[in-house]
Amino acid sequence: MDREKMVEELVKLVGKENVLSSETDLYLYGYDASLFRGKPDCIVLPGSTEEVSKIVKFAHEAGVHVVGRGSGTNLSGGTIPTQGGIVVHFSRMNRILEIDIENQRAVVEPGVFTLALKNALARYGYVYQPDPASEKVSTFGGNFGENSGGPHCLKYGVTTNHILGAEVVLYNGDVVHVGGKTLDNPGYDLTGVLVGSEGTLGIATKLILRIMPKPEAVKTMLAIYNTLEDAGKTVSAIIGDGIVPATLEMLDRLTIKAVEESIHAGFPLDAEAVLIIELDGLKDGMERLAERIMEICKKNNVREVKAAKTEAERMQLWAGRKGAFGAIARLRPNYLVCDGTVPRTKLPEVLTKVMEVGRKYDLSIANVFHAGDGNLHPLILFDERNEEELRKVHLAGSEIMKLCAEAGGTISGEHGIGTEKKKEMLFVFTPQDIGAMKKVKMAFDPEDIYNPGKVLPEIQE
Amino acid sequence: MKQEELKTLLYDEIAKCNRCGFCLAHCPIYTIMGREWATPRGKNALVRAIIEGKIGWTPEIEDTLFRCTGCRLCTQTCFPAVETNQGVLAGRACLADMHQYPKIVDRVVEALENNFNISDEPNEDRTLWMDFLKNVPEHMYQKEKAEVVYFVGCVAAFFPLVQKIPQAFVQVLDKSKVDFTILGGEEWCCGFPLIQMGMEEKMQKLVEHNQEKVKQVSAKTVVFACPSCFHTWKEKYNTNAELLHSTQYMERLINEKKIVFNNGFNKTVTYHDPCDLGRNSKVFDPPRNILNAIPGLKLVEMANNRQLCNCCGGGGDLEMIDPELSAAIAERKIQEIQDTGAEVVVTSCQQCIRTISGYARKKEIDLKVMDITEVVLEAMGS
Repeated sequence: MDREKMVEELVKLVGKENVLSSETDLYLYGYDASLFRGKPDCIVLPGSTEEVSKIVKFAHEAGVHVVGRGSGTNLSGGTIPTQGGIVVHFSRMNRILEIDIENQRAVVEPGVFTLALKNALARYGYVYQPDPASEKVSTFGGNFGENSGGPHCLKYGVTTNHILGAEVVLYNGDVVHVGGKTLDNPGYDLTGVLVGSEGTLGIATKLILRIMPKPEAVKTMLAIYNTLEDAGKTVSAIIGDGIVPATLEMLDRLTIKAVEESIHAGFPLDAEAVLIIELDGLKDGMERLAERIMEICKKNNVREVKAAKTEAERMQLWAGRKGAFGAIARLRPNYLVCDGTVPRTKLPEVLTKVMEVGRKYDLSIANVFHAGDGNLHPLILFDERNEEELRKVHLAGSEIMKLCAEAGGTISGEHGIGTEKKKEMLFVFTPQDIGAMKKVKMAFDPEDIYNPGKVLPEIQE
Repeated sequence: MKQEELKTLLYDEIAKCNRCGFCLAHCPIYTIMGREWATPRGKNALVRAIIEGKIGWTPEIEDTLFRCTGCRLCTQTCFPAVETNQGVLAGRACLADMHQYPKIVDRVVEALENNFNISDEPNEDRTLWMDFLKNVPEHMYQKEKAEVVYFVGCVAAFFPLVQKIPQAFVQVLDKSKVDFTILGGEEWCCGFPLIQMGMEEKMQKLVEHNQEKVKQVSAKTVVFACPSCFHTWKEKYNTNAELLHSTQYMERLINEKKIVFNNGFNKTVTYHDPCDLGRNSKVFDPPRNILNAIPGLKLVEMANNRQLCNCCGGGGDLEMIDPELSAAIAERKIQEIQDTGAEVVVTSCQQCIRTISGYARKKEIDLKVMDITEVVLEAMGS
């Protein structure tokens, strides 16, 4: 369908001001936070479920692809319109529809920023637990599509554990409801299928979320190590001892150096690794738990372990963790965040191999990651404008995923597959496994309207 | 500016943008518009695309680059601290070179060339704000020699809504027995609007004139109640005189016991950090120290304050270029002010006052907006 005609039809559905199609706009909606590029045919900004339904129905009838988009923060190319089509940007559907404290539920539109809901909940002493690094701007639609994680997911689970239901627009424009406000819904768990499907099966227009009371007490500790191995062993030992901290984060030497140069969080420059361990829950028993953790750290040759005594000290420790990406970003013009998961016990071994990959390609790699659930985030530093370096970055990224897979882990912890890691899917799944997923795609979107060319690699059927 | 120069000056800076999108959460323009072109990320991407020859100077790029308040909250909250506003201003300079800019720009440039101020009035009228002041000394605050020059700025001199600032500040200086002068009709625009419009090369004449006048007065210090004049002097002028914002100078006068608060100020107030004073000049404490020194005054902070303070919507000539967008940003700002429960919002910038109280008036919102010089004057009493 030619673009002019498409725009004309879409304008009838959502109004002139909500359809973008200039060359400039097409360029601007061709990127996200990944290294990939595409070009849509036009961009539409719907204001309601009804409008989304009409847009998709039109696209289906015209045989045009549809790609949903929130803030475009995703790191695996999930929102790149690689095969053109209509990008549906949800910035206008950004209302919190309901906060039901007694029943511990919230209902939001897909364009709401994660932190906006958290701020709204704070006055009730409530919290929505998943905390992706991009939470101040990541939208719930994006969290739904990518099944986002974050530091606190070690204890509380990832997005799928906090989305109980959704209103979804299907490939032909039909609006359906999956799940609901109750914990266990009869019939197939379609919510479970849709969360993390990266916009390839349907588009969520309303989300029912689980919210929780804020924990009564929080305790944050910093453990400093002379070797990565000891830090890694500590992580396994804590979890192995039956303790589930709220967060268990690790920073390596290059990260520590960068953080200290830019924010002075109080990390020693000669350390090989630090752990940030946070407990939350009831005040009673927390001190005892903290002592147990300190004991475990000591058994694993910690150089020093200290607990934040005041809220200010706690904030300073977190400033070091939260500012880590920023600090690293100042070392080179660009960085690629890899996202892989390994069994906790394999952390030290895999980290050593990751650093070998860096040496092999002559690339600097810094590590700051969710150690508690074995979710690695090697940051490869480079200059995007240097094509040779960019090529090496892709190769190194893929090799790191292979390492994770070979160690019994997987190729994504929370960033999704998108455009970036399709061929790496075969590191962890057989063609038969992929075939089973393809059947799900065929059931939901037989005509490949939604986000084509994502997630699933081509296989010989 | 030519495209080649844009590349030399800004390619490395703009290339630091990883497109992470974290700036979207903070940008006042995106918050209202909700479109990618409005984002700092988008602005970086477009400037970069132009440098790399992937896109031409489309009309949309003009719209985009002229919709930035220069608040720099994006840079403040950006991991690699990309100076997006520098790219925006350089982009505007390229557009200016090709005569591709909003029509209103020509009117302002003409006013500056003819009158040396941004209004349509002759420059002699810079002192008309004194008409409403009692006990003006014979020299009309214009002396041949003085320790201090008070640089009034165009907006405070010509726009009735904010003439209360020079009216209050000269009284504060008088009561504190400061040996000061204004430049009257010899004060020319500092050049800030030209920088914002991408015509920095046109400001040299203004700069030289103002520098010379300050020299003739033999002033050791130049004081500004306008954060943008202050910031422009700091960045673009070459003078031996000490440059201070009114808040810094009044803080000093309080410490020297030259400002004494006989009355106090029995109200709960919140303080709005003007972008050019706070984030862009890093003056955060002096205004707060002043307010906290006033007996009876209770200061409550807004949810976003200091480095994270939200722009009022009036920065970067936006009020002139897109008044509707500027007003929509002001509306959000007013909500944040009201959420504090404060009786008065105090700031230290005539443009912030214009944007905030302008919107409040239009919508009949009961909101008291004061410049910090007015609060100090009232608290000093007789």
